[in-house]
Amino acid sequence: MSAGNRLSASSAGGSIYDLGYRHYEGPRRGRGYAVWSLYVESLRGIWGFGRPMSAKAAPFILAGLYAFFAFLQLAFASTLANEISSGQQVQLFTYDSYFTQFGFLLILFCVAQAPEVVCRDQRYQVLPLYFTRAMGRADYALARLASLATALFLALIVPMIALFVGDVLMKPDTIGAIGDELPRALPAIPACLLIAASMASISLALSSYSPRRAYSAIGLIAYFLLMEAVPAIIYAVANHGGVNSADKLVLLAPITSLSGATDWFFGQSLSSDFPTTLGSEAYVLACLVSVAVFTAVLVFRYRRIPA
Amino acid sequence: MTQQAPPAGDPVVAAPAIALDHAARWYGNVVAVNDVSFSLGAGVTGLLGPNGAGKTTLLHMLAGFLAPSAGTVQILGRSPHRDPSVYRQIGLVPERESVYSFLTGFEYVRFNARLQGMRNAESAARAAIARVGLEDAADRAIGTYSKGMRQRAKVAGALVHDPQVLLLDEPFNGMDPRQRLAMMDLLVEMAGAGRTILFSSHILEEVERIGTEILVLVAGRLAASGDFRAIRALMTDRPHTITIRSSDDRRLATTLMADPAVFAVELTDNAVSVQTAHLSAFRRIIAGAGRTAGVRLTEVVPADESLESVFDYLVRR
Amino acid sequence: MTGTLTAFPEIVRLTFRQQLGRRRTLLLLLLAALPPLLALVYRAFGQLDIESFTYNVFDLVSMTIVLPLTTVLFGSGAFGAENDEGTIVYLLAKPISRWVIVSAKAFSAVVLAVLLTVGSVLLVGVIELLPAGADGASATEAYVAAMVVGSFCYSILFLALSLFTRRALVIGIGYSLVWEGALSTLLPGIANLSVRQYALGAGDGFYQLSAHAARLSPATALTLSAILIVVAFALATWRLGRFEMSGSTD
Repeated sequence: MSAGNRLSASSAGGSIYDLGYRHYEGPRRGRGYAVWSLYVESLRGIWGFGRPMSAKAAPFILAGLYAFFAFLQLAFASTLANEISSGQQVQLFTYDSYFTQFGFLLILFCVAQAPEVVCRDQRYQVLPLYFTRAMGRADYALARLASLATALFLALIVPMIALFVGDVLMKPDTIGAIGDELPRALPAIPACLLIAASMASISLALSSYSPRRAYSAIGLIAYFLLMEAVPAIIYAVANHGGVNSADKLVLLAPITSLSGATDWFFGQSLSSDFPTTLGSEAYVLACLVSVAVFTAVLVFRYRRIPA
Repeated sequence: MTQQAPPAGDPVVAAPAIALDHAARWYGNVVAVNDVSFSLGAGVTGLLGPNGAGKTTLLHMLAGFLAPSAGTVQILGRSPHRDPSVYRQIGLVPERESVYSFLTGFEYVRFNARLQGMRNAESAARAAIARVGLEDAADRAIGTYSKGMRQRAKVAGALVHDPQVLLLDEPFNGMDPRQRLAMMDLLVEMAGAGRTILFSSHILEEVERIGTEILVLVAGRLAASGDFRAIRALMTDRPHTITIRSSDDRRLATTLMADPAVFAVELTDNAVSVQTAHLSAFRRIIAGAGRTAGVRLTEVVPADESLESVFDYLVRR
Repeated sequence: MTGTLTAFPEIVRLTFRQQLGRRRTLLLLLLAALPPLLALVYRAFGQLDIESFTYNVFDLVSMTIVLPLTTVLFGSGAFGAENDEGTIVYLLAKPISRWVIVSAKAFSAVVLAVLLTVGSVLLVGVIELLPAGADGASATEAYVAAMVVGSFCYSILFLALSLFTRRALVIGIGYSLVWEGALSTLLPGIANLSVRQYALGAGDGFYQLSAHAARLSPATALTLSAILIVVAFALATWRLGRFEMSGSTD
């Protein structure tokens, strides 16, 4: 006879227990935990965990390809180490140029996965299930955003780590090498954070406007491709025609701006493709603004969505 | 135990309209349909089974959307999976709700008619729509229809080309009672004209009403086929229960208990419930028993002749 | 088979209605309007160098962005609704040969893609190239041909792809971006398997496109295109004939 049962009838000799709806009277963890749970579930979903095997294909293949080249250099670094005298380095890929060269793979990653993150809930109209609980609309949007940003950050940082390890291994004196390489590699962290935040905010903000994955994906890739090509073309034409003010347009190009911002983090000067009138700080600023704007768009979208 | 006897029904064509021969379908380790054989001719047959029994899989095999892993599936002597020309004689009403929601009801039925190669697609479509009672809504987009209306549109699309065989997966889903009755009348009418109709359902009252012929699928196997009353008679390992109302229940009960045909008697709320192993023998003695006891019998009803009890028995075996 | 003759136009009509929803049409028109808009920008700044113009506007925007995205949408969208919503049963449970169904869908996809892409190129031509004389006219012709060949190849390729995988859209975009874009610059042999190169090669017959653009001769390009179209069509027909409903919800 457990004292914790609810009684529906009781007398001195016996009791009948109420086996109806069981109330939960334990601790409730509240909003923070709910947001954290959504974040974790979302992050796992992006990488395909908790989904069938086929869902793991796209993210791992794309992120794997992105990291592949860094690991290639790492593999060669070990074999080259014997043949290089100390101080000399062979580097095909460097921290600051890596994203510029291979970033298109991460664009594909966003195009493949961002619709998965936000379109399913809209398609099956389960948003009320989220919004009527402890979590608010903005919380939902931000949790999803944080998960995609984290996923991107992981994809971005792994090759950086591989490059770092490769560079260290190439030198005979390991401890000294780490001391040398670390300051060179560290700017990669804030750079990758900015890239992750920027790409995630753009991807989710644009994808959240359609419940159908196909349209979101097309819209997203169209945005990335067009916003790179069109400002560059207009700038080139205008420049040729003697008008200089079009260089501001290049700030609108997401990947180019991220490229420029990365250069700022690493203290490099911009490559010759960039207009000469703007320093790399301008691109950092443009990226930060873009993160703010697209995050606001995303939150606004979920504030206004009927559910 | 029950036999797998083919149900009565005279075939209109040389090959039976629907014929399965040891058909089976498995997905890896899961056997969805297991060694099913039956053949159907004109008439309405209900396909019953609990959830997961394989009804939809079976219907998909009949519709040619799944190849049998073993055995053969034939409609009018041809295999629909390999030979799309047999679709001229098949009308299909699948379970899933989705239909081209941007088309109007009329356009949808006409689309089906045209794809069937009918020359007079417009008039055939109008006729089919009238038959299901959708004339009023025919010029609205299907996306605006209620669930029952969408079902009716699907049925109209399936019978517009006057097929020999109709396959319906849970056709009464979403229909209100009046629409259900109308649809049942339509199916019975078509069967009377020589069509072969097979429909699956969960709702035993529906099946009882229009299909005396049933096929019962349990865990992928055919548990019984034929007239459910005949099946009931075959269930000899289960005694029949009859409920009797009379002017003096207790006296009647005492008299009945003495009879060898009866093996259990129970007094319930103003009725006597009798269990007998031999229904025919009991039928012979009940009137005499009433007279002997000096009791007037007001109601004698077999309590478990319903499809529900047959089904229940078959599912639990 | 009985339904064949009436079925083809019926399916084509249905697919047009399916593909041209309001939002989708608007977005695609905007996409197709971009090259003309860029041409106007060129107009605004006066001078015109045909080489750089065709590279910037046609190669970078029309070939790399407008053509693949338009055809991916129309191509994988041809069976898109049917795949997603299961309405494919209404097409399959009919006495129509499977290849008729595929050809009707392919026809719709190709027609829509051609209309949009060729229209876009013609507008550009009218705005900027034709006034520039015979060279401009040839360049326009070249890219019209490229768009036509590209539309045919891409649409049918993506249509077949959509019958094999649910991620046809992403794979299509990946193909265009990675295979035809980045990898192509690294490994020249890929040109033989790249629709973009087929399209450029076809256009080359009219006008020598940007020096580094076309890598295949027109004859090779057209032959390979024909092979691709036939193979993709055959695969799509085969797949449709083997169609099976995925799982049941008994």
